[in-house]
Amino acid sequence: MHRFVRPQLLLRDSKQPLLPTAGQLCTNHKSVVSCIRGYVVLPPTNDEEEKAMLHRMMRVDHAGEYGANRIYAGQMAVLGHTQISPLIQEMWDQEKQHLRKFNEILAENRVRPTLLLPLWNIAGFALGAGSALLGKEGAMACTVAVEESISEHYNSQIRTLMEKDPEKYTELLQLIKEFRDDEMEHHDTGLEHDAESVPGYQLMKAIIQAGCKAAICVSERL
Amino acid sequence: ASPLWLDMAALIRGLRAGRALRGLGGVAVQGTRSTQCSNVRRGFHRAALLRLASDSKSDTSVPPPSYHEVHTAGESSSSSAQGESSEDAQPNTSFQDQSGEHSEDYETEEQLQVRILTAALEFVPQHGWNMEAITAGAETLGLSSASTGMFNNGAGDLVLHFVAQCNAQLTETLAEQNNQVQLGQAESKKTGEFLKDAVEMRLRMLVPYIDTWPQAMSILLLPHNIPDSLKHLSTMVDDIWYYAGDRSTDVNWYTRRAALTGIYNTTELVMVQDSSPDFEETWAFLDNRIKDVVNMANTAKQVQATGEAVVQGLMGAAITKEIY
Repeated sequence: MHRFVRPQLLLRDSKQPLLPTAGQLCTNHKSVVSCIRGYVVLPPTNDEEEKAMLHRMMRVDHAGEYGANRIYAGQMAVLGHTQISPLIQEMWDQEKQHLRKFNEILAENRVRPTLLLPLWNIAGFALGAGSALLGKEGAMACTVAVEESISEHYNSQIRTLMEKDPEKYTELLQLIKEFRDDEMEHHDTGLEHDAESVPGYQLMKAIIQAGCKAAICVSERL
Repeated sequence: ASPLWLDMAALIRGLRAGRALRGLGGVAVQGTRSTQCSNVRRGFHRAALLRLASDSKSDTSVPPPSYHEVHTAGESSSSSAQGESSEDAQPNTSFQDQSGEHSEDYETEEQLQVRILTAALEFVPQHGWNMEAITAGAETLGLSSASTGMFNNGAGDLVLHFVAQCNAQLTETLAEQNNQVQLGQAESKKTGEFLKDAVEMRLRMLVPYIDTWPQAMSILLLPHNIPDSLKHLSTMVDDIWYYAGDRSTDVNWYTRRAALTGIYNTTELVMVQDSSPDFEETWAFLDNRIKDVVNMANTAKQVQATGEAVVQGLMGAAITKEIY
């Protein structure tokens, strides 16, 4: 996704308030610019270690949502003209929203995106399309496996942040909890729509989840 | 050994014991100027109190043991009135007060290093990027030449300091310009023009040192300096793109920064060999490189759009085949 923004455009975008917030006028590039919103999701910090940790978390979350997007795109490409397509489209739209949010956070906080994005692009689309070729149940099974992995990942991030300082990370925790709840909803939807009835469900689920774990591990670092 | 050196040995043991007691972690080591042992011990005590008071976790470099001993040895052995008067002339860093913890008067070792290196820069055209320039700089601040012992990586420290200083200046200027644009006091520039102006601004900071800059570049390429110089370079390029308005969160983040790094490095090389008036040829070269990159970016966009259209078509055909 291409985002090339002139700083002043942030002022003129019709969806945003016309008055510049203090954040927009902030000239210290190291501090967090809150831009349009009145609050910041990532708390500003001067501690290098904490900043690195937060950036890593945002990087991998962004990669995850990007991958999920591509998975649903792959599924829609195959099952786009079937009965299940409105459901997949709905879930895809929610993922698009999540991705948009993470794009915002990355841009505001100058977080480096993961270098492997092109890889997740292809791998996600292939996984989505491949699972959809097994039919609607295959697609649902893939959804269940992936959403379970993502929820687990979000839960561990929530745990980490709660252990560190729940007060400080209130907005971030709220965001992650909201996204985790959405992903759990997708997982449950998948189960409702006969995910388990696909042949080789357990094997497929295990393989996909192992792949997700590896992807998360690598995206944190690269 | 003379009795003076025996005293120094005892002092050194005392200093080391004091440091051991202080432990590792946040450093607030003071540049001690006093020639009296008691003041030095009080300094350590204050340093420990300061560290307890502050909650800074950032770790500045652990002071090399040589600094204190060398410095106090230098101070003790030099009995010139000059040393004393220059000490009086700089109240900020002296230990004049005996009362207690006045942390604002303290200068950390890092701040002292910065002051010495900044002073050393004016001697670079004369001496080059080496310890001689640092020594000359230290002497203008009234410190003994032995104080340069704290720079383990002499020339490297000096060049890296200069690079950091230039980058900070560049960032400040870009932030100020950005502020003006957001307030509507200035027009925003097109990307190519912005990049050209930013790179030119940054390279112009090399002009006073351009004759010795090849030496500095080779110092930056030494293996032990490469991590730091790469970090400075990548931060600078990231800053320039940020203020140019880049908010990309895909692979473009990498391609843009790689392109600008290439432009910057090649232009720098052209500059050190340029003998035209006011480096006109360098700026012309820079202009052409930026135009190349902008053209490539536009072409890439077109190729991507075409590619996407083709893929859509193929997928459409595939799905139609799949359903039927």
